[in-house]
Amino acid sequence: MKYGWLVILFFFLVPGCGEDESIVKIDLSQKELVILKEDPDVITYAYLPQYSHTVSYTRHQPLIQYLKKETGLNIKQIFPDTFGQHMEMVGQKKIDISYSNPFIYVKIAHRYGAKAFARIVEKTGKDQFRGQIICRADNTSIMSISDCRKKRWIAVDSTSAGGYLYPLGHFMDHGITSQDFTQISFAPGPGGKQEKVILSVYAGEYDIGTIREGALDVVSGKIDADEIRIVATTQPYPGWVYAARKNMDKAVVEKLKQAFEQLDFNQKHHQEILESANFIKVLASDDSQFDPVRQLTARVGLNLEQ
Amino acid sequence: MKLGFRGKIYWGFFSLILIQSLVLLLWGSHVMKESMLEEIKSHGVSIGITLSARMTEPLLAMDFLRMKTLVDETADLEDDIFYSFVLDEKGDPLVHTFKDGFPLALKTANIIPDNRKGSMQILDIGNQFIYDYAVPIQVNDHQLGTLRLGLFQTRAKKAVNKIIISAAVTILVTILVAGILGTLLLNPVTKNIQKLHDSTQQALRGNLDVKTAPVLKENCWDIMQCHKSECPAYKNYHHRCWYMAGTLCPTCVEGEYAKKIESCQQCQVYRKCSGDEIQSLAESFDTMTLSLKGNLSDLKIAEQVLKEQKSLLQTILDAIPDFISLQDHQGKYISVNRAFCEMLNKNKQEIIGRTNHDLFPPKWADQYTREDKRLFETGHTLVKENRIVRLQKSKWLHVVKIPVLEENGLVQGLVCSGRDITQLKEVQAQLTHSQKMESVGRLAAGVAHEINTPLGIILGYAQLLLEDVEKDGVIYKDITTIVKQTKICSRIVADLLNFSRSNDSIVTEFDINKTIEEVLEVVEHTFSLDHVKVKRGYHEHPLMMKGDKEKLKQVFINLLNNAFDATMEKGGSIFVDTGIEKDKNNIKISISDTGHGIAKENIGKIFEPFYTTKGPDKGTGLGLSVTFGIIKEHNGSIHVFSPPKSREGEKKGAQFIVVFPCSGLYTKKGEVNGEHSRVG
Repeated sequence: MKYGWLVILFFFLVPGCGEDESIVKIDLSQKELVILKEDPDVITYAYLPQYSHTVSYTRHQPLIQYLKKETGLNIKQIFPDTFGQHMEMVGQKKIDISYSNPFIYVKIAHRYGAKAFARIVEKTGKDQFRGQIICRADNTSIMSISDCRKKRWIAVDSTSAGGYLYPLGHFMDHGITSQDFTQISFAPGPGGKQEKVILSVYAGEYDIGTIREGALDVVSGKIDADEIRIVATTQPYPGWVYAARKNMDKAVVEKLKQAFEQLDFNQKHHQEILESANFIKVLASDDSQFDPVRQLTARVGLNLEQ
Repeated sequence: MKLGFRGKIYWGFFSLILIQSLVLLLWGSHVMKESMLEEIKSHGVSIGITLSARMTEPLLAMDFLRMKTLVDETADLEDDIFYSFVLDEKGDPLVHTFKDGFPLALKTANIIPDNRKGSMQILDIGNQFIYDYAVPIQVNDHQLGTLRLGLFQTRAKKAVNKIIISAAVTILVTILVAGILGTLLLNPVTKNIQKLHDSTQQALRGNLDVKTAPVLKENCWDIMQCHKSECPAYKNYHHRCWYMAGTLCPTCVEGEYAKKIESCQQCQVYRKCSGDEIQSLAESFDTMTLSLKGNLSDLKIAEQVLKEQKSLLQTILDAIPDFISLQDHQGKYISVNRAFCEMLNKNKQEIIGRTNHDLFPPKWADQYTREDKRLFETGHTLVKENRIVRLQKSKWLHVVKIPVLEENGLVQGLVCSGRDITQLKEVQAQLTHSQKMESVGRLAAGVAHEINTPLGIILGYAQLLLEDVEKDGVIYKDITTIVKQTKICSRIVADLLNFSRSNDSIVTEFDINKTIEEVLEVVEHTFSLDHVKVKRGYHEHPLMMKGDKEKLKQVFINLLNNAFDATMEKGGSIFVDTGIEKDKNNIKISISDTGHGIAKENIGKIFEPFYTTKGPDKGTGLGLSVTFGIIKEHNGSIHVFSPPKSREGEKKGAQFIVVFPCSGLYTKKGEVNGEHSRVG
């Protein structure tokens, strides 16, 4: 063929035009209704939505896997959106195991009969924690606690221990009452409230913010920590607590309690779990260990029913 | 139909654009299509990832409302999103955008492979194709569920079609624009080449007066403000000055193109008038044809001269009776003249290019080839005489072979010249024979002189004895025989003496008619006795000539006696005619008879001494020899014709024509149709 080379050249130059993906033929006519299937004998575990659900999940999922393995219980982490929802779900028995701050605990204990059975030891090595009052590092008008008067205050939540209750007590100890602030706001929910307080102060939206000790570490990747200055730190109070809802099977509680107590920071596997959960140890506890919190609540005039 | 140059250029040009366009269209559209599909896929992945990220919190919180809102919002986001749904960790649907139940087949239609962060699967749902994206909903590395997103392929198709149509339109417009621009650019080129082609055709047809180069707006005389009309470039619109020799520009180097072009390239005329390669080609073509025309004209003149010279040379060569040939170094004949052709009885075409072996018998060819080889080796000249016998005829040839030497001394060829010397050889033989006969004659004359006296005594005494014996006796008869034979001897001796002696001539002026008549008066009576008649045909006027009358009478007696001897047996006629030769002041005498004639083979011998066809007692063979000697003495000539020339139709008899000059000398020779001549 005289011009065969042209044809060859043409096909050589022209790339393949076909689709290279495989095609799956499906029939959309067969349909089903979506029905949520709940697993039987599920022990629900909820972390007070101090942070976002993702953070909560990330922190506690290894621990839950550990507990499931150690206790043989079908433990499932659930994620209430707000502190209030968390408390209500305890009352509704939708949360079997509650991990919350001591202020919430005294509330659910008061309202719904929850019982503390374990408490954590902070990374600091203390079984107590403190609240912190922060402002922007460049805010020269706030150099001491007394400078917080007439300032805009954002707290984590009205049910927050380190983020509201403890700083409020601290302010009162220094003669500053709620009326001394030009504005008291709470971080909008759900979840991530500690971060929101820090970010609000960082953004200059509020003059001061109150957070629990250690919260700054959570946002260290998001903002420059040096831009935030700690104005004051409260005295320590009992730390976070594991509580079982009212009428929880005691055997289950005991299994969990033992599993918690077996966590040993010196064991590598446990260490990873504990570091993920942001504490180093879980101690057995009971309700009486949270009386200082009840007393503080009474002192600052907060109502456990609210 | 074969394409012309213009057609090929346009065909090639448009083919190139078309191929390029097609490649660009197919390749480009393919790439764009792939890019677009990739973009669409990426878009789907992007939506999926975003939705997946937003879905984490509600999924953890099992917030179905929020999840449903998110999938619905996503589905409403763009028209081409067909569906969106979330599968839980086990692969069961949690929320979806389908109005009437979740299609079961979708659950497993697109499973994310291990270690992959997503998956795209094309689904054929019957009436169209769906790009199904599966994005894991995960926290850290733990997968909480799967987000699935379905996009109609329609959008991708539309986008791709749009791209292809746009590309096609762009390419068509490009081809159109390129075609127009290409045509504008190529047209002058192809036009000039067509013109050049036409000019070439014209030149090939012999018309060298072609004008291919374009006429310029400004020429050298305009630029240089020159008015030298004698310059060959002046007002020459079709030939550029730098191509022409002998231009008168002051800045121009003298000479032809090769010598002047470098200086011309510096000239403003060159810079302004020189064009592109095509124009240069046309200009140089015109110059070449012009030069060719001049050269051809010179060549034609030279050819004509050469032709004339060749013709002249050939004419000379052909006119030369000698045969001439020229052989090359291989011995092949490359030129011959007419005599050579005639010798070989071949035409020139049959000889040229042939060798000795092609032309001559093997024996001669071998000999000639050996000779030629020796000449090529030695370079010497060969001179020889060859005797050739062909068709029972022998020929003598005088041959000279001369080597033709090159500048380096080697033999380039051979020139051979040959001459037919047969006649010369015959003359030589005749001369030798004559000399021999002359010697014999002298010997015979000497003997005759010596025996003449004893013969006279014998005759005298014999006659005295006759007077003494009785006439009836035997002795008388014997003595009579002695007397008779002695007289015969005396006549022979007398003839011998006449033949050998050159008597002093008595020259007088006399009328030849009267002289012949005087001879006839003596012999006519004798002739009549044998019934031989003499018929006269004298010229009406006396024919005067100077000479020895008595000797001439002897000539006529001899001729008449010969005629009588030839006719006497049967009785016949002897014709005697005299006259003047036309245009020549010669006297012509003819004596012819009606006798038995002379045999053709004997004609050449009749003038030889002692040659006779008569009986032993009738002729001595010296009559015509004596006759010839006398005619020779009178600067005349004698011609013999048998049968007679003057009487056409007769096959017998002979005619002797004797010609004498009235004044001065006249000679004639030749032998035609039995004619034999002896020139005095």
